[in-house]
Amino acid sequence: MKAEYNLSPDLFNVASREDRNAEKIHRPSIKYWPDVWRRLKMNHLAMTGLILIIFFSIMAFVGTEINGFKYFEQNYDLINVHPNGVHWFGTDELGRDLFTRVWYGTRYSLFIGIMAALIDFLIGVLYGGIAGITTRRVDSVMMRIAEVIYSIPYLLVVILISVVFTQAGQGSSLFILIFAMTLTSWVPMAILVRGQVLQLKESEYALASESIGGTKNWILRKHIIPNTLGPILVNVTLSIPRAIFAEATLSFIGLGIQAPKSSLGALANDGLAGLPVGNAYQILIPAIFISLVMFAFNVLGDGFRDALDPRLRK
Amino acid sequence: MENVLEVKDLKISFKTFFGEVEAVRGISFKVGKEETIAIVGESGCGKSVTASGIMQLLPMPPAFFKGGEIIFNGENLLNKKEKEMQAIRGNKISMVFQDPMTSLNPTMKIGKQIVEGLVKHHKMSAEDAHKKAIEMLELVAVPQPGKRINQYPHEFSGGMRQRVMIALAMVCNPQLLIADEPTTALDVTVQAQILELMKKLQEQLEMSIILITHDLGIVADMSDRVIVMYAGQIVETGLTEEIFASPKHPYTRKLLASVPRLDMNKDEPLYSIDGTPPDLYIPPKGCSFYDRCTEAMKICKDHVPDLNEHNDTHLSRCWLNHPMAQKVYSMDGGEK
Amino acid sequence: MTEPLISARNIKKYFDVGGGQLKAVDGISFDIYPKETFGLVGESGCGKSTAGRTIVRLYEPTGGELIFNGKNIYKLSRKEMQVVRRDFQIVFQDPYASLNPRMTVEDIVAEPLDIHQMYKTREERSERVIELLRLVGLGDEHVLRFPHEFSGGQRQRIGIARALALNPKFIVCDEPISALDVSIQAQVVNLLKDLQDRLGLTYMFIAHDLSMVRYISDRVGVMYLGHMMELAKSEELYANPLHPYTKALLSAIPIPDPGIQRNRRRIMLEGDVPSPINPKEGCRFVDRCSYAIDRCRKETPAFVEKGTNHFAACHII
Repeated sequence: MKAEYNLSPDLFNVASREDRNAEKIHRPSIKYWPDVWRRLKMNHLAMTGLILIIFFSIMAFVGTEINGFKYFEQNYDLINVHPNGVHWFGTDELGRDLFTRVWYGTRYSLFIGIMAALIDFLIGVLYGGIAGITTRRVDSVMMRIAEVIYSIPYLLVVILISVVFTQAGQGSSLFILIFAMTLTSWVPMAILVRGQVLQLKESEYALASESIGGTKNWILRKHIIPNTLGPILVNVTLSIPRAIFAEATLSFIGLGIQAPKSSLGALANDGLAGLPVGNAYQILIPAIFISLVMFAFNVLGDGFRDALDPRLRK
Repeated sequence: MENVLEVKDLKISFKTFFGEVEAVRGISFKVGKEETIAIVGESGCGKSVTASGIMQLLPMPPAFFKGGEIIFNGENLLNKKEKEMQAIRGNKISMVFQDPMTSLNPTMKIGKQIVEGLVKHHKMSAEDAHKKAIEMLELVAVPQPGKRINQYPHEFSGGMRQRVMIALAMVCNPQLLIADEPTTALDVTVQAQILELMKKLQEQLEMSIILITHDLGIVADMSDRVIVMYAGQIVETGLTEEIFASPKHPYTRKLLASVPRLDMNKDEPLYSIDGTPPDLYIPPKGCSFYDRCTEAMKICKDHVPDLNEHNDTHLSRCWLNHPMAQKVYSMDGGEK
Repeated sequence: MTEPLISARNIKKYFDVGGGQLKAVDGISFDIYPKETFGLVGESGCGKSTAGRTIVRLYEPTGGELIFNGKNIYKLSRKEMQVVRRDFQIVFQDPYASLNPRMTVEDIVAEPLDIHQMYKTREERSERVIELLRLVGLGDEHVLRFPHEFSGGQRQRIGIARALALNPKFIVCDEPISALDVSIQAQVVNLLKDLQDRLGLTYMFIAHDLSMVRYISDRVGVMYLGHMMELAKSEELYANPLHPYTKALLSAIPIPDPGIQRNRRRIMLEGDVPSPINPKEGCRFVDRCSYAIDRCRKETPAFVEKGTNHFAACHII
């Protein structure tokens, strides 16, 4: 189709060199983490989780001060009161305000969950990183040790340690609890990191680094670890709810956190007695809180996984 | 010559985070009976998208057909529902891909994959289909076809796998074969065998072929006509002899000059094209080759070139071929 | 008579795999002279990539010697090797995989400088990076971008800039253009040639595209299943190939000229390239060779001079 316009002869002169830019890059620069964040934002479920987590974290400290009752305040006149306008979540069998106690418990549940996940992360990355980068023989030995550790029944470990330390009259039960929990739970993280390291070790840019003189240590630090942070982040985020639930279970059976401190699991345990006598709210409310917190971390972790998956890039 | 396939002003785009990327920007061409058409171009020029688009094998979204028609046997394929397309794929139009490793199901025996097509499209009995499958393997020169029909893809070498792919594609006697870089992943001695095989089969089965490649040697060897694509558009098309002997578009000229030939003088310089193809997220306003063309004129920047018809078969789109562009340029941009 | 820059003697590299030993490189010897381009060609499985990587000691060799500056680099300690590494660089095939996707171009190109601690201040480091980028046709606007924002050809040029950072004497180009588009290949090859003239580099150019290898190389070696089959000056090899494999290889390459290509008489090889695992005695090419005699099956032919500076391993020449 011929164009219907007049073409002046001048247009047929040579275009200047400067006018043509052959190496231009048109798109704006996309950095890695901002792009991950952008993709995460598009995932409404994950964002809901994130908002919930922020809400719970803030309320864990603010919530205990809102209605004026202290978490340890006992009031024998007001035992087992159902939720009303004064005690929004009711009271327990010692007359303590449940609203305040639940937020107080959230504090410890979150703390334990995050600490446990952090410790798993630190040990896992160190152990898995070394196993991945070292010789096959050392790697084999390290992995066998890890498997043996992991196969020890977790509950057994916790009970043993609790008993040992209680007998020895040692310090805060909180740190003993975390210690007992993380003694075996770091193994999956180590296995993940090792797998990532093994895979990335073979990547061509790791090889290229070796060819310019990079030592194993250098390659691990500069090339491998930064590229494993994605999957590690997913795993850390997902291990928090696992740790929270583990603690809740332990506290529920009486092995976890001791009075006067309390966690959501301990509260659920306290509330168990209320179930047969019509005070279901005493166990229901902590249970709902546990579920919500776990849900929030799980969807956030899933969201991270999707946001980091290069194949799902939109 | 009647046309097996006619593509009219086809436009295919992709919806991405950045916006719309126009991968194919209005191309038209015809494929005649028993003809071999080569589509040449660099990566990103849209040739593979065109091939997959004809078969409607593109993921939709993010891809979508922005316009145009694909006429096959008198009907517009773009109007067909998925079920109708399934009856055509592997049956009337077949495709052979570059990597036989990923296009064959690794957990299914070779025989089963070939027989599948026959049973589905031609409603053959399992026994007859099995016989036909062995015949096909013989046709593509797979040794011991009776035995190898029960093997899995990983038991074949790269060249053998590609032969199996071809057998799979040919088994229903298609009218049109689309081969997307069929030999790129193969060694050069194996490539020669596969190309010979394709030529032989084409003659036997009276089939048309659309051959997508970036190797100009293969183009010279196999094709009757050539389509040169750049940045989603056809910049030149014509008979193979015409394109090689007297290319009318600077891109074609540069492309031909950038390929080293076994028979050229070693001291002859190899011309390269500076820079890279334009990003189709911001499609160029005028000629898409403007930024890299050493013979560019002022008009080329903002105005899409008119179609030049050099003869019945040889077409190009370039302002240099316009009667008003009187000067003739040499390869480096100086005047002759 | 100039001294060779590097001398490879009977280089061997075997891998232990499931079914036995993969003899990727099984005893090849050659010299490379300063400022020349030595081409190494062959099809998949012939061992050319492994040879390239073994020569710069990226892979530990199973046997053989590599003499550089009078010393056998395979015998050097880790510290001594670090120093030699500055002179031996390698450009990889896959421009998409050989650059760390999470590093900026500046950090990628500067990595050799960082490892060997060459620059004290950030400014000097930056300046050197920009200098290197300019050498390969990129600019300072590219410095803070990431690999995925560039095209294949540009990425490959970044890889070349990285290889030049330490002013090496010898660069192994391991299929540097195979993953690139045709018109970009010419760009990269011209760049390599230009850099060779400007900086006095010596190249080993590994590729399977014989036309391109002929264009850029001074001398060419043909490998098949771990053995060197033929070696000659590039013009001589293409004009007068002696080995049956070389002849078949050359005839299989299609020439971009319909008039010539359609009238060529081609030598067709049967079958596929066999596996380099547990190879048998005798000439490696025997199963596909149309000239094979009994002796070829029993005795591995020696790699000897058959013409002036023209070597081949074949019993029937």
